[in-house]
Amino acid sequence: MPAAYFLPRNELDRLFGALVADGRRIVGPTIADGAVVYDELNSSAELPYGRTADTAPGSYRLRTTGDRRAFDYGVALTSWKRFTHPSLIPLTRAHRDADRIVVESVLEEPPKLAFVGVRACELAALGIQERAMRAGPAGDPDHAARRDAALIVAVECAMATSTCFCTSMASGPEVDHGADLVLSELDDGFVVRVESDAGVPVVASLGLRAAAPDEVERATAQVAAVREVIGDPVAANGLAARLRTALDHPRWSEVAERCLACANCTLVCPTCFCTSVGVASDLDGADASTERSWDSCFSLGFGRVAGDANFRPKVRDRYRQWLTHKFSTWWDQFGSSGCVGCGRCIAWCPVGIDVREELAAIAPVSAPTGPIPWPPSPPEGRAPAALATITPARHVIATVRSVVPETADSVTLRLATNDEAVLDARPGQFVMVELPAFATPPISISRIRPGGLDLTIRSAGPATAALTGLVAGAQVALRGPLGRGWPIDAAIGRDVVIVAGGIGLAPLRPVIEAILGERPRFGAIRLYLGARTPRDRLFVAEMNALAGRADVEVAEIVDRAGPEWLGQVGIVTQLFDQAGWDGSRATAFVCGPERMMQATAVTLAERGVNPTAIWLTLERNMACGVGTCGHCQLGPFFVCRDGPVFSVAELGTAFGREGL
Amino acid sequence: MATRDLTTVLDATWFAADLTTEATGRLAALGSLADFAEGTIVVREGEVCESLGVVVSGRIALRLRLPGGQDRTILTVHPGDVFGWSAVLPQPIATSTGVAVMPTTAVLFDGNRLKLALAADCDLAAAIYGRLLVSVARRLTATRVQLLDLYRPGNEPW
Repeated sequence: MPAAYFLPRNELDRLFGALVADGRRIVGPTIADGAVVYDELNSSAELPYGRTADTAPGSYRLRTTGDRRAFDYGVALTSWKRFTHPSLIPLTRAHRDADRIVVESVLEEPPKLAFVGVRACELAALGIQERAMRAGPAGDPDHAARRDAALIVAVECAMATSTCFCTSMASGPEVDHGADLVLSELDDGFVVRVESDAGVPVVASLGLRAAAPDEVERATAQVAAVREVIGDPVAANGLAARLRTALDHPRWSEVAERCLACANCTLVCPTCFCTSVGVASDLDGADASTERSWDSCFSLGFGRVAGDANFRPKVRDRYRQWLTHKFSTWWDQFGSSGCVGCGRCIAWCPVGIDVREELAAIAPVSAPTGPIPWPPSPPEGRAPAALATITPARHVIATVRSVVPETADSVTLRLATNDEAVLDARPGQFVMVELPAFATPPISISRIRPGGLDLTIRSAGPATAALTGLVAGAQVALRGPLGRGWPIDAAIGRDVVIVAGGIGLAPLRPVIEAILGERPRFGAIRLYLGARTPRDRLFVAEMNALAGRADVEVAEIVDRAGPEWLGQVGIVTQLFDQAGWDGSRATAFVCGPERMMQATAVTLAERGVNPTAIWLTLERNMACGVGTCGHCQLGPFFVCRDGPVFSVAELGTAFGREGL
Repeated sequence: MATRDLTTVLDATWFAADLTTEATGRLAALGSLADFAEGTIVVREGEVCESLGVVVSGRIALRLRLPGGQDRTILTVHPGDVFGWSAVLPQPIATSTGVAVMPTTAVLFDGNRLKLALAADCDLAAAIYGRLLVSVARRLTATRVQLLDLYRPGNEPW
């Protein structure tokens, strides 16, 4: 088999015909709305022959070249993720009939496609999305199916636009892996390389002659010339580390004054993968469906959680999240940069923000290195193996056996299920809880018992209000258990300090029960409980019973109280900030509002508890629960997947930092 | 109680634990132990605060009068900590009402005598005012956090 073949220009439709004969629809570049886009093609005549694109920050203009080339336009406005990660896909259909509910997946079988005209940088982008969406702990079955169904005909670049910087990101312009076929366009035709088994029969069916040495040389020379033209505009070596130490750079605020937070950059980006799930239902909520759509970390609501808290309320926060994720924390998460240097975000930014310029300003090579805010990569032992079988479309139906009122706005649902994965939950894990027609909140498990589990839920929004209104016999749909739980084994042989604030006691209750179940294996056990008022205390009878034990110390405090309350009033840290115990022998488990956990962590450290032994559970917008939607990111972490339980040492200064 | 015994009592408290032996001895010479039955008002908001107290055992609730006449407990003082710190201010007016919510024992220091002693003894003053500052700062921090009302429904991030 020759190293390369030659396809005459006027025979390009024969290649299209071979792809169609292989049962594929062809997607390639064509012109629409004044730009090159990737869309379904019926023939090679729809390619953008004789057109090129002039790009600059905030500018994209098509221009006629007068030559006959079809692929001299740089990259299209739209990227291939439109076909491997569509902007909208149906996920589930749900039906509720009285108390019974049914939730079923409606994922469609993807079409068999041939992508024609894929650039080297875009191949790299497809690979990056695969690592994020397919190789993740949950794996996105829709993405995997679409990617498997696509045959890739790459075309090496013969020109560069002014916004290209693939050379800096080591993603091009040469195509060296990932394609099935690689074309190099010359004036009179195409040098064709076969790069995969899937490409062999396609080329074989065309009966092409071997490419002549001068044809191969011309192809090689023109892509080499592209590399020279682009140069090396971004100092990528060490960039990830430099960005980590630049989180407080004043440039974030300066660029935020120009940034419109329009999300154009993330929509045209070939690697951005963040999504949200929308719910639609009929008026009585009996029939509902969910759809997954692209979302953007630039959206104001992207980091918002129930209670109207928003972890990235400012444009500055969101721009920093995007840029640091692309060029820094992506390495921690997926082992590569999240940018391939295609330059779309530069050309399609309506105000012309140029990431190359921003990176040079925020993280210049000359920047002094400071302490990194978090460990260079997430700790090991994160995702439970069971996650491999839990996708955003897999649900377990559980039945409410009883409802236990806890406070004026909180109840405990005692759920029954025989699902082995759910029953294998560990303290600190959570489940996504779905009722048809409502958003799906993550709920921490407050008790794990044979045949079921308890969920203690506070009514904070429509979904949790509906859940707290359920009665015995009702059903809910669960996904989980999810996340990493409390490392109880790390406390064996040590004293245990448990600090709970408000409903934060709920995810700690399984810890308490697990430790008391093996009481001799632990040293002193101290429980410090905070609540808003005496009426807002959780599990009062249980805690009173614990307080009566000689081998457990229990102290509680409330923020405010009337004169009838004779217990302690103040903040939870006052229960132990002047205590006499030795913190160096203690492991602490903490849950409550983040501000309360910050104060607690400080006080525990002052008491001598090592930051590696202070464990807390974070809350973010955990929308998918498996690390694929992107909402819950905190620095290098997906809180849903890497946490929600973290040690203070793991989080570093990411913990409590504004706007992350 | 003899001064030597009061020194032992003070040594066991957070307030005096890190003072030098000499300072604790001088402080003990100014104090006296007092027992309060449950419900005893030990200091009253808006009135002259005559004594600084260090709780030895029991609990003092610090309360504010709300518009409408109801009381709200804003803080409790546990063993080792102080109440009545207004007694060492130039204008010793109590900022809250202190109520013993259980049988409570405290070491009391007459405000005027204590101020005179501290004015005459810079080393003792530095030690005592430092401890008082820590205590007041701790309450200020707590008050700030309480103002955030972290546990308010809808204020938690879930």
